[in-house]
Amino acid sequence: MTIEVLSRPGRRPYPPRVTATTAPFWEGLLEGRFQTTRCDDCGRFSFPPKVICPHCWSRRILWHELSGNGRLYSSTTIHAAPASFRQEAPYRVAIVDLEEGVRLATRLLGGGPATLDSPVRLVALSYDDGPLFAARPDGGCIASVGLAPRPG
Amino acid sequence: MSRRVALVAAAALPCGKWQTPADAALQVLEHEVLASLVADAVAEAGIDRRDIGSLAFAQCRPYTLQKYFATFMAHYLRLPCTGTVSETLGNGMTAGLAFERAVDDILLGRAKVALALGVNFETATSAAEHMMSSMRATGDVDFQVPFGFTPIAWYAMDAARYMHEYGVSREAIASVAVKNRRHASLNPLAQFRKLITMEDVLAQPMIVEPLGLFEVPPRSDGAVCLVLAEEEVARATGRPYALIRGRGFYHEGAHQISEVPNDMTALAAAQRSGQAAYAAAGVGPSDIDFAEVYAPCTIVEVLVSEALGLMPRGRGAHGAAESETSLGGRIPICTSGGLQSRGHPAYVTPFYTFVEVLEQLQGRAGERQVRDARLALTSAELGNYNAALVHVLEAVR
Repeated sequence: MTIEVLSRPGRRPYPPRVTATTAPFWEGLLEGRFQTTRCDDCGRFSFPPKVICPHCWSRRILWHELSGNGRLYSSTTIHAAPASFRQEAPYRVAIVDLEEGVRLATRLLGGGPATLDSPVRLVALSYDDGPLFAARPDGGCIASVGLAPRPG
Repeated sequence: MSRRVALVAAAALPCGKWQTPADAALQVLEHEVLASLVADAVAEAGIDRRDIGSLAFAQCRPYTLQKYFATFMAHYLRLPCTGTVSETLGNGMTAGLAFERAVDDILLGRAKVALALGVNFETATSAAEHMMSSMRATGDVDFQVPFGFTPIAWYAMDAARYMHEYGVSREAIASVAVKNRRHASLNPLAQFRKLITMEDVLAQPMIVEPLGLFEVPPRSDGAVCLVLAEEEVARATGRPYALIRGRGFYHEGAHQISEVPNDMTALAAAQRSGQAAYAAAGVGPSDIDFAEVYAPCTIVEVLVSEALGLMPRGRGAHGAAESETSLGGRIPICTSGGLQSRGHPAYVTPFYTFVEVLEQLQGRAGERQVRDARLALTSAELGNYNAALVHVLEAVR
């Protein structure tokens, strides 16, 4: 296990759909693994996990586990939210560059300042109805109510 | 010599709230509004309606109940066509692509005259409900939408990154909103025309940090009909027109972000499409007299003005703060009032761009006339400028 798994009460506001291709990604999160697809021909990563390599269109795709360590490329706090997310507003989202050279978009946890280029770590979130993931400032503790390490 | 295409006339509904609630006893309906504009635009063009060979529609919002809108309108207007009758969809670029569809039919010899037209009615649906749809148009439904990204959240992250890298203040970026409102105050088609100050901008509620209410686009209804023609047809009318001199398009093969880190605020697609349009027209950024760009938020105008070479990198916000991009400045940008103040009926927004350009190039822009306006630059985009469509137009009088 490389990333922490935090349990969150309730259901996800807008659950992702799961396919045969992406199921290992979502299942891995609940086991503390953040993995994505990597091309066995050109060696480059793809995210989200894809059925072909977007760089060279090879079908020789393997799963590869990432460290979950990265830096905050950018961030914003959303106040005007879509109906499904209204209850959570305001909330923070971010673009994170992982140390393996993979960029992704996710939630940003924690209430402190979001200093760009500062280190962040990915965490898995275990909701009642399934997993999501998020980033949080590296080394920082989570003070928010309702976020506790998952038992077991 | 190959054919050349001219924009000869336009008619537009002032941007604003036009759509009636579903239960209103008296409805304002899309096809009636648009049919009236078609008659106005074709009359103004001074062309024979029998020369119209193609109808290139921007697709309507899903809230428009009349489906197959293009073919319904061909019927409503009783307008047989030998070119094409079509509806186009391309997110914020929708009307830009419909414009191209009309231009292409003329270039291919399928039509002497083509209409590019459409209506965007959406304001009877609340922003929170509308975003349930638009968030799925501007993000990966399974890997981004579940986190709650909104369409303009991506632009807000552009702003955060730009401020971080270039040490630019929020106030400098916000000056674009003040400048655009000043332009809108002179535009009868604009949705918001009351002058505002920097204090007003900074006092607004946050929408998506660091952008407040006046720095993001409003919800708008709108409708436009543009008349395009072979240059010979345009010349025969004896009226001034806008000649399309150059066009560039580039899609970077990414949607919002890809997994490959890049310089997000460089707007690579705007750079590439701008270079292609300049090359096709045989001009450079310094030849341009004014630009009407697609910029939903203040920060986007800053970034695209840099990507198109109108402002040096890192200086776009200062351009507005120091009046360089104002009417009367070195390179006026968004003389219509831009998307924040002119309004943003998204699927027809690029049509409004061409309405403004035509008025300026015909010398009919009244108090907001750019002096000696000869060369105009336009842009349309989708995503976070993942794709851009740029045109150079020239006044022929």
